[in-house]
Amino acid sequence: MSHPKHHDHDHDHDHDHDHDHKPIESQQEPAGEERFLEQALRELLDEKGVVTAAQIAQQIDIQDSRTPALGAKVVAKAWVNPSFKQDLLAAPLETINKTFGLTINTPLELVVLENTPDVHNMVVCTLCSCYPRMLLGIPPAWYKSTDYRSRVVIEPRAVLKEFGAHISDETEIRVSDSTADVRYLVLPLRPQGTDMFTEAQLEALVTRDTMIGTAVPKLMES
Amino acid sequence: MQRKVNDVGGLTGSQIDQAEHDPTFYEKRIDALLMLLTGPKVQAFTVDSLRRAIEQNTPEDYSKRGYYEKWLLAIRQLLVEQQILSNEEIDRRIEEIKQRKGH
Amino acid sequence: MLEHQEFIASPSFNVGDRVTVKSGHPESHCRTPVYLRGKRGTIVEVVGRYHNPSLLALHKPGLPKLWLYRVRFQQSDVWEDYDGSSRDTVIADIYEHWLSSDEEHLNVSP
Repeated sequence: MSHPKHHDHDHDHDHDHDHDHKPIESQQEPAGEERFLEQALRELLDEKGVVTAAQIAQQIDIQDSRTPALGAKVVAKAWVNPSFKQDLLAAPLETINKTFGLTINTPLELVVLENTPDVHNMVVCTLCSCYPRMLLGIPPAWYKSTDYRSRVVIEPRAVLKEFGAHISDETEIRVSDSTADVRYLVLPLRPQGTDMFTEAQLEALVTRDTMIGTAVPKLMES
Repeated sequence: MQRKVNDVGGLTGSQIDQAEHDPTFYEKRIDALLMLLTGPKVQAFTVDSLRRAIEQNTPEDYSKRGYYEKWLLAIRQLLVEQQILSNEEIDRRIEEIKQRKGH
Repeated sequence: MLEHQEFIASPSFNVGDRVTVKSGHPESHCRTPVYLRGKRGTIVEVVGRYHNPSLLALHKPGLPKLWLYRVRFQQSDVWEDYDGSSRDTVIADIYEHWLSSDEEHLNVSP
């Protein structure tokens, strides 16, 4: 059957390796009936050759390799390299692929939202849980919660307070709702006092939540 | 205005539970299954149809059912819609698995 | 077999245009949230053309593609008692068939 290629995730095609995979079933199964359904679907699809156990194991490895670390690298580089930042803002995915030697391929549009002293960006998907998985991995549970999704569009400042972030009333809070084919990465403000930091030291300041907009990068208290 | 179960922007909510819940291996399997079924090799169904299936939950089910539970049930529904599996064979296999596991 | 030539329409809206989100009956699968229906905003980006998610949701090809826009709204225009700064905004990605240039567009289906 033919469908247009329309996915909210990317597919890593250059992941050709051979190694031992964990056995598919492990602990932490849910208590309810659903675990039987999950096993039934997995077995039937494997038997029919639709999706094999090996493919599932490999896909899990691929997904595990996607963490906020990549997003942090992008942000840190944008902080130290103005020309990279310019390219990043103009053509995010192309620039990231080129600079980091990746082949992230998706029909979705990645938009980088730059925080400034005048604008603080936050990201949500009120309708489900769309998230820049190709850069940051799987979203946190709170991002997918109805509490976050319902509240951040109507009371972003209250939500920020709850997350312990403080944004001035003089700064515009700009909430981007990922309703369709766009995925967002927040480029947080570089903290003061980091002029002598190396790129690696800067990366350590960029947490997942700073790239969603519920946190601002902080220097660790010594 | 008629509001779908998933269309929650602006509704009253509670304090956000910020606890980190690393996905369990079970949840990762469901995630992987979805990626592969909607991926270019298999193209069993679209992510849009998954969302549509989830939107068909009643408000009660939507709030009671877990995130991945909703995914799993939607995946089942869509595999049947697309005639890749039948409800009968799925139910038969579930019974078989239960017996295997001594239930 | 005759090849179906897809007519590529140009976008109806440009950056800076003022638009109103329609408020009619939604499709079975809809990506225009209720909180923005009937609200007036400004186009900030013409994103591109994408398959129609309402059709994809029903296992259909999703053609013709639709123009997608990023639309910015003042929060004080969206919520009656918005309790933040008057500077605050919300941006959403909205498909063309949900937008109108008219100032008032009550109960018109997309």
